[in-house]
Amino acid sequence: MILAFANLSWPVFADALALGGIYALMAVGIGLVFGVLRLVNFAYGQLMMAGAFALAYGDQWGLPNWLSILFCFGVVLALSALMDRLVFRPLRTHSPAVMLVATFAVAFVLQNIALIAWGSFGKTAGSLAVWQAPWDIHGVYIRKIAIIAVGTAALCLLLLQLLLTRTPVGLQMRAASMDFRTARLLGVRANRVIGGAVLISGLLAGVATVMLSVEQPQITSTWALPETIYVLMGVVLGGLNRPIPATLGGFTIGFAFGLLGGILPSNQSQYLPSFIFAAVIVVLLVRPNGLFTRGGAAVERV
Amino acid sequence: MTALAVEKLSVRYGAVEAVRGLSLEVKPGQIVGLIGPNGAGKSSTLHAIMGSAPVVGGDVRLDGSSILGRRPEDVARRGVALVPEGRRIFGELTVEENLQLGLAARTKRLNGGGLAGAYELFPILREFRTRHAGALSGGQQQQLAIGRALASDPSVLLLDEPSLGLAPKIVDVVFEALSRIRDAGLAVLLVEQRAQRTVALADESHVLANGELRLTLGPQDAGDTDRLVKAYLA
Amino acid sequence: MNQARRLPELLAPALLVLATALLGLEVSSYLQTYFLDTLVKVAIVVALYVFIGNSGVLSFGTISFVAVGAWTAGVLTVPEDQKRITMPGLSHFLLTTNVGNAASLALAAGVGAVFALAVGLPLMRLSGLAAGIATFAVLGITYNVLTNEQKIGPGLNAFSAVPQTTGMWQAAGGGLICVGAAYAYQRTRFGRKLRATREDAAAAAAAGISTYRQRLLAFTLSGALAGFAGGLYVHLLPLQVGNLYLDLTFITLAMLIVGGSGSLLGAVVGTLALNGVYSFFTAATNTVDVLGWHLTVPAGTAEMVLGVLMAVVLILRPSGITGGREFSLPRRRRPVADLEKARATT
Repeated sequence: MILAFANLSWPVFADALALGGIYALMAVGIGLVFGVLRLVNFAYGQLMMAGAFALAYGDQWGLPNWLSILFCFGVVLALSALMDRLVFRPLRTHSPAVMLVATFAVAFVLQNIALIAWGSFGKTAGSLAVWQAPWDIHGVYIRKIAIIAVGTAALCLLLLQLLLTRTPVGLQMRAASMDFRTARLLGVRANRVIGGAVLISGLLAGVATVMLSVEQPQITSTWALPETIYVLMGVVLGGLNRPIPATLGGFTIGFAFGLLGGILPSNQSQYLPSFIFAAVIVVLLVRPNGLFTRGGAAVERV
Repeated sequence: MTALAVEKLSVRYGAVEAVRGLSLEVKPGQIVGLIGPNGAGKSSTLHAIMGSAPVVGGDVRLDGSSILGRRPEDVARRGVALVPEGRRIFGELTVEENLQLGLAARTKRLNGGGLAGAYELFPILREFRTRHAGALSGGQQQQLAIGRALASDPSVLLLDEPSLGLAPKIVDVVFEALSRIRDAGLAVLLVEQRAQRTVALADESHVLANGELRLTLGPQDAGDTDRLVKAYLA
Repeated sequence: MNQARRLPELLAPALLVLATALLGLEVSSYLQTYFLDTLVKVAIVVALYVFIGNSGVLSFGTISFVAVGAWTAGVLTVPEDQKRITMPGLSHFLLTTNVGNAASLALAAGVGAVFALAVGLPLMRLSGLAAGIATFAVLGITYNVLTNEQKIGPGLNAFSAVPQTTGMWQAAGGGLICVGAAYAYQRTRFGRKLRATREDAAAAAAAGISTYRQRLLAFTLSGALAGFAGGLYVHLLPLQVGNLYLDLTFITLAMLIVGGSGSLLGAVVGTLALNGVYSFFTAATNTVDVLGWHLTVPAGTAEMVLGVLMAVVLILRPSGITGGREFSLPRRRRPVADLEKARATT
């Protein structure tokens, strides 16, 4: 396997970084909501799927790219708010395990609504395909989307980091994810913090959707589902509670997939998911708070 | 003018009645103590005031108007600050960030309080402002918790067993700070297990046992242990 | 005396299973498939219940035991000459070994149990969300391995030429075996101990109950029953690994939750009710006549309906249709008992 690294080239490396970036965005979206709501949103991928279908419609109606993207964001945010209102809010008092099952149900329902509406073939979101074309950088061909994805992901994460650490709202969100009850007693408004987390999570989903649609322009009912599962595993590996470790976890998984998928022949990389899953089990047994968090007893029994 | 009034308050958790028909008042510039054995309902009273306990009867009034049934964050924003049992500071945030969180409850009142007030009252906090709050000692964390509550510029301060787990010397520091807070005009409701010190400090102290008010003592009764014990065990 | 009083707890679900089978014999062979499918699903959901219902711990991994059982029974019963054609990558041992129907089911149960035990040894220490995620990871690993490993099965392809021995009697018998085993387990002191940990973990620990050990036992039993059900399933339909992954996990979990995850009756009722709905809508993709009115629905409707039902139940009545209660006959009041009760409250 070490020899496979000889296959490593700049394009493969860039693609791996891009995949890592997309996964990182998804990881933060999922981790942020978990931190504040203690909710693992298995339906996150379906949110993205809905946004991707919006992009496909934008393509079909001949909308300019920026308008399609706006439409995509609109759909994702609206669906996200709806999910929170209808399903997550009534279940907030239940255990995280029950909430996971509920999001599982929501994901299943949305997946099949998409199947009913658009069949197993789905729709194509092709207008951003231009980003698949490579840039020639000193004789090395790197796909435009790779650079755009990495850049966008880095920018979003930087902005989020600034929001969380430099603004009062961000501080309240961090506090709420550590100890919601005490935060409320200090005057932190629960609904505002939750709404904020859901909003940011939705925005990140929108960005990830746009990026991923370039990689996978064929939008079907299970679009982004495998990615959601892997990102979820990455978030658990990194640390469910805290945004930064969750991001690192998501990024690592994406990067590993991209890298190893790119340099290993397929008969060796096919078991990569199993390794990831096995790693997650080990982490849950040994360090339930994740690999990247500082050790210490958690208030939550995760 | 009464800052905080509790009238025939009853709190029930499922089948358990934690507080039965409790009435008390705290005026501005006054410390009222609430003492009693474990499980007497002292904490529940504070949480009922904050809106985070199931109230089944009675009323809670702030400056004359009822705040019963309001959400905790709304009660906090109206000027009631709680220093919770066990401090409950955010260990992974810095001291300064913890204090800034206290500012969350400030709405329009921008005069007084704020971080400056907290730093003045507890100079040790200024020294440690960039440290992670989890690295502070118990006594320092208690000061931080109080400072954080004060940052919101409240008119009423509720404290839930601030001396718990603290060395006597630190308790001195804390109680001395409470005295100064009282002098600044706040209404302070102090829940404590250390009966004698509380009775000595407070303008009046109520003994709570089994959810009911048993006895009211003044500072002059601080040495009267017999009366105290009888009230506890009644 | 106590045992007899509880017998309705066994009889009610058992009779429901039998009734389904008998009804299934009366309908056209086209509809029979749905009845057979329902009975096999009863076996799966009961296997789910044995662990989740008694321990209160969520497990997404049960379907991986079903899959392993299906693989075992399938690979060992496809005639050897067929194996060489459809599964040429099989290991020599599996290629040349063949067993009879009953043996395949027994082995499926055995392999399911062993796999569950191996998985449970590390995992049974976990609770809540961690358990859910860890068992989900197990499901993922199983799916990944079964899909790619040609030495142990058909990989991504569907099974073919597996003897279709799961007729009404095998399906009903299988369902009854699972119901019986679940009932027997929950009546033993092991089952009771595990239920105690579900109600109040601290009190149970104080009483000397080892949560870990009781969970491991239930998990292994659940694995055996699930493997057995997998064997039944592969003898019914040409299964493909995708049939034994997320969709089936969700559907069976929905059946358990809607029926009431706390009771055996709930598991059976939930399966019968929901698979009835599911089958109806699945059949409707090819048009059904309902009360003189043609109904055609697009593919995916059945799943969507199930998902909505599950979400609704979770939000409105999380304890499910049965409320977690077993079937019991109304008790005849005894005067002495009433008197004692009255004395106790004064």
